[in-house]
Amino acid sequence: MPPTPPIVERPQRWDAAFDPAMTDADVDRLLAIAPFSRMSPDNFPKRTPLREILRHDTSIRRYRKGEIIVRQGDYGTSAFLILNGATRVVLKPDLPLSLLGRQAPGKKGIFRTLAQLWSPLRPPESFSRARLRQDRGVGARENENNEVRVFLQDLPRVLDKHRTEEMTAGDVFGEIAALSRMPRTSTIFGSSDTAELLEIRWQGLRDLMRSDDQLRQHINRVYRERALASYLRATPLFRHLTKEQLAQVAEQIEFATYGDYDWSGEYKRLAQAGSVRPEKEPVIVQEGDYPNGVVLVRAGFARVSRKFGSGERTLNYIGAGQFFGLNEIAHNFQKPQQPVDSQYTLRAIGYTHLLIVPTRVMEQSVLPSLPRNELPPPISPAKETFEVLPGADPDSARERIGAETLEFLTTNRFFNGTATMVIDLDRCTRCDDCVRACASTHDNNPRFLRHGPSSGRMMIANACMHCADPVCMIGCPTGAIHRESFAGQVVINPVTCIGCKACANNCPYDAIRMVDIRDERGEFMLGEDLKPISKATKCDLCVENHGGPACQRACPHGALERMNLNDLDALTDWMNR
Amino acid sequence: MSEQLPAPDFDSQSYERPNQKWICGHAAEGKPCRLGPDQGGHCRASSECAPVLEIKPGETKGRWRCTRPGGACETGPLPDGKCGRPISKCSPVATLRTRRGQLTRGVVAATAAVLLIMLGGPWRGKFINPGKLSTPHSGEAFAKFHAGRNGDQSCGACHTAGALGPSGMIFAALHSSPGPFAIKELIEAKAGEMTALDESCQKCHTSHLLHQANVARNISCSFCHQEHRGAGPIAAPTDGHCTLCHGNAETMLASSKIVAASPGGSGIARNFAADHPEFRVQSEKRRDPDTLKFNHVLHLSGETIPKPPNGEKLDCRFCHQPDAAGRYFRSIKFENHCQACHSLQFDPETPDLSLPHGNPDFVSAFLHSLPRQYADFAARSGMARPAEQNQFAQEKLQRLQARVGTGEDFEKRVFFSTATSGPETQVGTVRGAMHALYPGCAYCHEVKADDGGKAHITKPLMMDRWLAHAEFNHAKHSGLSCSQCHQAEKSQMTSDIILPAKQTCAACHSPRGGVADSCATCHIYHTGRTGRFARLKANGQVDAAAGVEPVVIGH
Amino acid sequence: MKRFHRQFLLGSFLLLLASTGAVMAHRRWSRALPDYGYLTGWVLLGAIILLAVYNARKKLPFLPLGSSESWLQIHIYAGFFTVVLFLIHLNFRVPTGWFEGTLAWLYLLVTGSGVAGLILSRVLPRRLATRGGEVIYERIPALRHSLRQEAEALALGGEMKSPAIAEFYARQLSGFLAGPGNFWPHLLESRRPLNAIMTELEEFRRYLNESERATLEKLRDIVRRKDGLDYHHALQRTLKLWLFVHLPLTYSLMMFSLLHVVLVFAFSAGTR
Repeated sequence: MPPTPPIVERPQRWDAAFDPAMTDADVDRLLAIAPFSRMSPDNFPKRTPLREILRHDTSIRRYRKGEIIVRQGDYGTSAFLILNGATRVVLKPDLPLSLLGRQAPGKKGIFRTLAQLWSPLRPPESFSRARLRQDRGVGARENENNEVRVFLQDLPRVLDKHRTEEMTAGDVFGEIAALSRMPRTSTIFGSSDTAELLEIRWQGLRDLMRSDDQLRQHINRVYRERALASYLRATPLFRHLTKEQLAQVAEQIEFATYGDYDWSGEYKRLAQAGSVRPEKEPVIVQEGDYPNGVVLVRAGFARVSRKFGSGERTLNYIGAGQFFGLNEIAHNFQKPQQPVDSQYTLRAIGYTHLLIVPTRVMEQSVLPSLPRNELPPPISPAKETFEVLPGADPDSARERIGAETLEFLTTNRFFNGTATMVIDLDRCTRCDDCVRACASTHDNNPRFLRHGPSSGRMMIANACMHCADPVCMIGCPTGAIHRESFAGQVVINPVTCIGCKACANNCPYDAIRMVDIRDERGEFMLGEDLKPISKATKCDLCVENHGGPACQRACPHGALERMNLNDLDALTDWMNR
Repeated sequence: MSEQLPAPDFDSQSYERPNQKWICGHAAEGKPCRLGPDQGGHCRASSECAPVLEIKPGETKGRWRCTRPGGACETGPLPDGKCGRPISKCSPVATLRTRRGQLTRGVVAATAAVLLIMLGGPWRGKFINPGKLSTPHSGEAFAKFHAGRNGDQSCGACHTAGALGPSGMIFAALHSSPGPFAIKELIEAKAGEMTALDESCQKCHTSHLLHQANVARNISCSFCHQEHRGAGPIAAPTDGHCTLCHGNAETMLASSKIVAASPGGSGIARNFAADHPEFRVQSEKRRDPDTLKFNHVLHLSGETIPKPPNGEKLDCRFCHQPDAAGRYFRSIKFENHCQACHSLQFDPETPDLSLPHGNPDFVSAFLHSLPRQYADFAARSGMARPAEQNQFAQEKLQRLQARVGTGEDFEKRVFFSTATSGPETQVGTVRGAMHALYPGCAYCHEVKADDGGKAHITKPLMMDRWLAHAEFNHAKHSGLSCSQCHQAEKSQMTSDIILPAKQTCAACHSPRGGVADSCATCHIYHTGRTGRFARLKANGQVDAAAGVEPVVIGH
Repeated sequence: MKRFHRQFLLGSFLLLLASTGAVMAHRRWSRALPDYGYLTGWVLLGAIILLAVYNARKKLPFLPLGSSESWLQIHIYAGFFTVVLFLIHLNFRVPTGWFEGTLAWLYLLVTGSGVAGLILSRVLPRRLATRGGEVIYERIPALRHSLRQEAEALALGGEMKSPAIAEFYARQLSGFLAGPGNFWPHLLESRRPLNAIMTELEEFRRYLNESERATLEKLRDIVRRKDGLDYHHALQRTLKLWLFVHLPLTYSLMMFSLLHVVLVFAFSAGTR
């Protein structure tokens, strides 16, 4: 008897409201003010009416003077519209890291390094009170909604030392970061006694953009101006274009964001129910469609698959910086009398932010600029077989790492990791040298578990993968979790962490663990409410230590490696080693 | 299948801590307490929380509050501040790694204990002795020599550190020369350097004389003679020890400068068959200076020579008889080896009467008293009456005179005649067969006349040893026949030295031949010590400057 | 496995080179240099100290001293090289005497245990990976305990008490589930004990009714899981236990070696 299929409620667009406290009165108020006042509800599709967008995808937030709204470097998924009051955005020089809740970058000095020799004597998770002393520059308090707000203590001084610019009612900020999942570019804090902001989460912003031309053009323009130009310049595909051509391409490029749900929370639920399947993911390009343009993935991941039998067979996954559809368009460009359709289907995995270069632009500007040897060769006539013949698609990931591994990685979303801990079970003698090395570099506290899902001889241990798309970083109230550098390691500053568990709950891989901290005698520390203080901990890729990740260096048999799984090069090398 | 295997099931809330030395005893039941044992392995659990006294502003007494992490318990702490929910103590379990550390410490302690006991106690010598001592250095006799020093045969007899305890040994080690850290000296040390240990050897083995007069430096005793190689005789020095100098061109050249080398004495010899120099007897083509004329070919294969009394053909054994040890041969004496055939008969008709041998004066006296000799001979032959004896003598003398002429001529002929033929004589009882001739003394000897015409016979010089530097034992070569090495059947001249060339010896004494060919087979290092050589040097019979001449011992 | 092949080839090549050099040096200089024994001894001691420093490096993972993998490769090939040095130092002679004999035995035990450990480290993980499943060693007692509780609940508790199963459990299974078992059969890849229990279970079936048979199936499952756990326990324990021989004896060897240096120089010909 086949097992009964698990029946799970299909996740709806608005199962989880952004702010349950939004009332109809609030929505009415919003509809009366710009820019919503000029939007006509008829432009909005029936599934996502304007009213409902405002109701479910926005929230009214209040900030007092000095309270930090967004931090530079934070990952956020919301844009903000100022309803009342004023905020200030910090221009250069940026606020010092301590005010932002970050820990100071840099490696441990010689004394601290040698002092680790005595780390085995420390009780687990012990902190000295001195170490936990927070920077006097910021304080934290809870507001009436039980939200934690971090505020600048000495606001006049900050205003004095840093150049700031004021933003008032009607200004919008944060939209680029919300849509493209790029880190925030500046720190913004409230400057009037009470500032009232409308926080719009990215799904709402996307739907508003879709249906309102003016908003879309505005955001497009902002996006092109600020976020696109330098990125295109760095893309290899466009490196032979002249400045004017590049500007033209920038003008005509389209961008889109896919994903119907906050993929971390929902993903976990679905994964546990066992119903994560490609067919459920939103389609970007369908196999057999006319190739509309080259898809460049800017953030997030997309799955490349092909019909196989009655299902879809995953061939590869692509991430930031990779493109899709170039072969077909190049073929059509070279052999216009034998055009081909899209050979594969592209689906968004979780959240995906894309740039689409229209075919027209490709044919007019980009493809002619490529030298002969960089132009992809024409595709040989499609063979009507179920198998992908060896050599037919030399880039096929399946050939390189095997179907089982590919499915394993994609189903568990491990390709997100830039430093995934891969353990070769054929070589691992279970000696725990790696865990002990991690402990000795972290005050006698290991920061990972030498255990995890495995496929064949490859085990993905439960250590922070330092994802390309760090979902954990969304929503930290104090800025404790941050990136050490642009696209660098994700680090939690224990000093400013308040133990709210936002990051731990977000992480789809359970890589973040909350620990109750102790003092140097080993007694559990209590807060003033007499509850134990807990902090979020995870692997920090030994960012403070000399020599790189201690786990990898400590394995005597070469069984452990921190691997970048965004593309398959490292993994292919590893599997063939 | 996956249900039957251990699953990756782990607590997503806490870490595994293999860095901790002790594990809570309740972990085996799946419920470890969150405190965990302390570093010394003692259970720290007492109760579920540590209550805190909370005095709110305005209060005087305050309340004890429960601080349990999962949420305060309903009953709260007891009034005296203790938690009402104790946790039973466990016996913490040491991790395998901790146990390994304990075992290591135990083994280190045990090793230290064993070493201290063995070194500190009376077993020290037996414990550190790297190998049994040879028989001469063990036992009563040796211990007697050291009665004044160490009563037993312990290390201190030879090693100065042997009498010291462990700390003394460390001190001695640091002060040895070359010291433990003097790597340069260790590398550059010359082989065979005299060392402090050799002084111990020479306490008993005195007068370690030099090998040869022209040895550049003394070689250390312990270099060649290695002790602690097991009971029995002390290990023999190997060829490597000899070739240290004899295989080294510089050393041989240097030594030839100290004392002018004898020809062939400064060559390199590493291996007998390969580059040991040819025997000087052969290479310098020496001749025997003996004045006695002897022809081996004639005696061994000549048709004309008589057979010895036992009727066999004459062979080497008749004249060359081995000494008691069988090592060398007895000197040739006329009376033992020659007289049987060469009987010095001067009167063919009276074969039993012969001249005395050895002193020409006796021969002269004999010849001048021939009548008397004949008469005595008659008396010895049975004629008792003097008249008969005289008559016998007269008759003999008349006939002799008729044959040989005057007495003076006769005497001259007896000494100086070298004629190769003469009247037949009778050898023993054999008549008519080969006769040994006796024309005159000069037939065999070198006879010179002085101014007065008197005969002087040069005393023959027969060498006993031709190879003075080597020891040869004929008894060990008894399986060979004489002619395999000594080509006597080709020697006609006395001046031939009938000794084999090196290659004859090397036919067997070589790796191919299979017989021992080490240096010690024939040579001995301590030549200064053997009295033979020293005596000869002292007597001037050996000219050190010219190298060693062949040796005459007997006569 | 190209990377590990490369390591192996490089290490073997260097080892061969070094050994050839050492043997050639031995033939040339063993007679010529008078203090040859001292020199080879120092080289051997130096090599042993180099091997022992690996332990120190493992205790300092926070210092950038090079990866443990490189250190282990050096440790292994230098270890093999010390065998050559050892034979050369002994001049291919069997040592006599208590002290030197013990020293030689210690060296052989340490080296032998090291080679055994190397073989185990390459063979056992593959067997664990082939068998499948993964468990952390320190968690095994807790898992065993929960399996046992599960089995007891099935056999002894439950709504429908079955005396037959209870008796069978007490007789056959409770011992098996009590602690880690079958250490040697698992190490030698023998299925005999498991088959024995399975056969017992199989034969017991005929005495049971439907529902009891269902319970028995579940018990059978538990037995299989416990066996898998035992397998992991046996192999992982072996992977940890071989060091119990290698490490303590190394300390002994070092102590004996140092004393050997003292003795050799104190009793050397150069002692005045």
